[in-house]
Amino acid sequence: MSENEAVDSEDQVEDTQKGKFLTFCLGNEFYGIEIKYVTEIIGLQPITEIPEMPEYIKGIINLRGKIIPLMDVRLRFRKPFREYNDRTCIVVIDIREIPIGLIVDSVSEVISISDEEIVSPPSLNKEGNKYIRGIGKVGNDVKLLLDSGKLLTDLEIENLENI
Amino acid sequence: MKKLLIVDDAAFMRVSIRNMLQNQDIEIVGEAANGLIAVSMYKELRPDVVTMDITMPEMSGIEALKLIKAFDPQAKVIMVSSMGQEGMVKQAIISGAKTFIVKPFKEELLHKTISKVLGV
Amino acid sequence: MTDQYHNEPMLELFIFESMQLIEQMEQLIIANEKFESYDSDAINEIFRIMHTIKGSSAMMLFNNVSTLAHSMEDVFFVLREDKPQNIDSSQLSDLVLEGIDFIKVEIAKIRNGDEAEGDAAALIESLRVFHATIKAQNYTVRDQEMKDTATSQGYSAPKKQQYYISKVRTEPQSYSSSFQATLYFEEDCGMENLRAFGVVNDLGDLVKEYYHIPADLDHEDSAVVIQEQGFTLFLKTDRSLEEIHRTLSQTIYLKDLQLTQVKNCEPFEDLHEERKILLNDSAKIFASSSGERITIDQKESYSSASQQSIISVSVAKLDQLMDLVGEMVIAEAMVTQNPDLKGLELNNFEKAARQLRKITSELQDTVMSVRMVPLTGTFQKMNRTVRDMCKKLNKDVRLELIGQETEVDKNIIEHISDPLMHLIRNSIDHGIEMPSDREMKGKPRWGTITLEAKNAGGDVLIIIRDDGGGFNKAKIMSKAREKGLLQVPEDEITDKEIYNLVFLPGFSTNETVTEFSGRGVGMDVVVKNIEAVGGAITADSVPGKGTTLSLKIPLTLAIIDGMNIKVGDSRYTIPTTAIKESFRPKTTDIIVDPDDNEMIMVRGQCFPILRLHERYHVNTLVNNFADGIIIMVEQDDQTLCIFADELIGQQQVVVKSLPAYIKHTKKVTGLAGCTLLGDGSISLILDIAGLFTVKKTG
Repeated sequence: MSENEAVDSEDQVEDTQKGKFLTFCLGNEFYGIEIKYVTEIIGLQPITEIPEMPEYIKGIINLRGKIIPLMDVRLRFRKPFREYNDRTCIVVIDIREIPIGLIVDSVSEVISISDEEIVSPPSLNKEGNKYIRGIGKVGNDVKLLLDSGKLLTDLEIENLENI
Repeated sequence: MKKLLIVDDAAFMRVSIRNMLQNQDIEIVGEAANGLIAVSMYKELRPDVVTMDITMPEMSGIEALKLIKAFDPQAKVIMVSSMGQEGMVKQAIISGAKTFIVKPFKEELLHKTISKVLGV
Repeated sequence: MTDQYHNEPMLELFIFESMQLIEQMEQLIIANEKFESYDSDAINEIFRIMHTIKGSSAMMLFNNVSTLAHSMEDVFFVLREDKPQNIDSSQLSDLVLEGIDFIKVEIAKIRNGDEAEGDAAALIESLRVFHATIKAQNYTVRDQEMKDTATSQGYSAPKKQQYYISKVRTEPQSYSSSFQATLYFEEDCGMENLRAFGVVNDLGDLVKEYYHIPADLDHEDSAVVIQEQGFTLFLKTDRSLEEIHRTLSQTIYLKDLQLTQVKNCEPFEDLHEERKILLNDSAKIFASSSGERITIDQKESYSSASQQSIISVSVAKLDQLMDLVGEMVIAEAMVTQNPDLKGLELNNFEKAARQLRKITSELQDTVMSVRMVPLTGTFQKMNRTVRDMCKKLNKDVRLELIGQETEVDKNIIEHISDPLMHLIRNSIDHGIEMPSDREMKGKPRWGTITLEAKNAGGDVLIIIRDDGGGFNKAKIMSKAREKGLLQVPEDEITDKEIYNLVFLPGFSTNETVTEFSGRGVGMDVVVKNIEAVGGAITADSVPGKGTTLSLKIPLTLAIIDGMNIKVGDSRYTIPTTAIKESFRPKTTDIIVDPDDNEMIMVRGQCFPILRLHERYHVNTLVNNFADGIIIMVEQDDQTLCIFADELIGQQQVVVKSLPAYIKHTKKVTGLAGCTLLGDGSISLILDIAGLFTVKKTG
């Protein structure tokens, strides 16, 4: 019985989170990530570098005893590196129980985008596109919606290419 | 709340029974892994009902049943048996077991058995 | 069945308990097989194990496992009850071990989330034949108890009514009334014949004479009859209809009851002669004591758990507990070494902090000890490996186990079981000679493999010694040459170095791939598994006399004693066990060879230097040897001098693995994991063995 309740409340959580996106910016572009993946947003922390990692993996941080890897999303999308400042944020997301922190220029807001407002991304464009699962239109603004799963899984393919 | 003592040498069965009774109005006051422990726990805890496995090390369920009934003739003991144990089930009935339940059993059957034995 | 069985903890418990029982049973069989007969304790135990597995797997709906366990249970039932002589214990062991293997495979499938769909029909048939053979032997001496079992179904005993016939035969009397009752039981209640028997038993003294349909309640077929047609009871009593009704309606699982008073006693008339049934009230023996009412003991505050001195806990929970203790060790350091306290003199605080530190460290030791498991189980498993190998290869090998009580962290045990098995297979396959060859060499016919464990400081040594032919040096060398595995000039290589070539990837000395040792997984896999838990393996061999393999395994992975060092802004931790000494180097001791390899002279010996900042591309201001520090580390008889900025201090650190994301991206050689320091910063734990490979290739 308690199980059922748990399932119910989980459903509710899913419901209230559906269509909600946390938006952040990289340069002039706005990106959105489904809120259900986001566990928290923190300011910049002292980073411990891990040797021999690709450039976009900045290292690891200690988040209340948990070791979280950090990915610089700018570098991931092959954009030029920008010095971190007091607006730089770490968006901690949890995808299939793998936690990871995304370093972004700044976080803006949480917005709702209904399915009708989302269009598929144009096929051949720039590098970052393969991580985009759709484009959300909010008023006059355009938000690039991230495919969080791809951010992580694409790695293996790249690794193979490197070898 | 009625008190139940679970007797089984297999932890799996003990937990199965415990889980099945989770949302029931029954307090599981103890778990015993063999007949010997069962008898002493019965004396100490005085449960309202006992589920008793038959094949166990140290002391079998039948012997434990006999000792429990000798100590408390009103004891309500449900034998937990399985196919192939007909002979022993019969001995258990003669020795005063209230009833028996045959493995594998479903949750509902266990609920029904216990409430009937308790006369609820 | 309902979903509650398929929730994880139940399944986990089922797997855990069944595997434990199966392993226990395997040991029993192997131990008894040696004496070519099964002792009665073993038979009892195996019977009980099979019975338990039958029940649990039936509850989980793993019917193939349940059915197989049932047929094995039947066999051991006969062994227990009939004690047949001259049984073929070797055939029995084979059958039962095959059964064990089947169950193991099915449980493995279940563990992996696969369907347990294995078909044991052939094996069950073999067991049935075996069962029939041993039973036929003892048919004549079968005792009374046998009849009470389902295993004897179809066998009708002449004295079957024993429970119904009263010891005291009373003359027919006339009672005030006769009743006819028909009872229907609920579906699925099972064993309806015995439920009916229970009804009769419950009536007890109330009824003086009765007769029922079906008449034979011992026969399983009656269960079906009662299921379909109900249980009909004719009875004579001086009690009222209400009283009888009340008693009968208390029957558990009663679905429907029809009770009518009958005028004539016809049903009884015919039966008087042949089926005069009077009740033997066995339950009476308890009636005598029922007079004294026992007052209910109110002292229920007793904990029922006091009866159980051992509980099983899931490893996940232990891991979590370990993690929490790790956090606490860090938190303790963060409190007691808090920078805010600098320069303050706080006597009471110091006292309390000391107490906290003491408790934390005790807690840590206790949790660690909980995780320690003796190697017994792992060692015992090898008996089976030896048995199977000997049977297949026609060799005779005795396994000697020494020091199996030695304890190792649970996580480590899991990692070394397979490598050990592989090494023992190798020893039997390649090391131990055929019995005839052994005799020719003047050795005993049987080979001996000794598996020994002992504590050695922070490590456990596991030694596998065989008295076989030993390694063939020439063969190893030619193979190594052929595969290009030689890194040392051939005239400089020592015997020991030659033997240890077999652990290099892609090495296997046997030309013919045998079923056991050459299945593609070679020694290099063994080495990898052992290195994965921070262990190491070395080999030594005496031609003609045998081979000794030594495994060095750390006691635990979770907490190590480490020296923290600083390089630029980065912190590293070196396991203290690997550190020989640390010192500030004198520039005069530094030697640079023409290839720009830096070395240092220490007491007349020359050691290579590894600049950590260069290796890991860390920016630091400390580039001159005179400004930094050298930490000399040793692993597997190799020595390396690590150059770092400065030492921070020695402390116990909780080993955390690097995040999965990092590990998936790249396995960084030389890094074993990370840990949190007292100030909340992260330090990377160095893997010394890894650093050596870094040094070689880099």
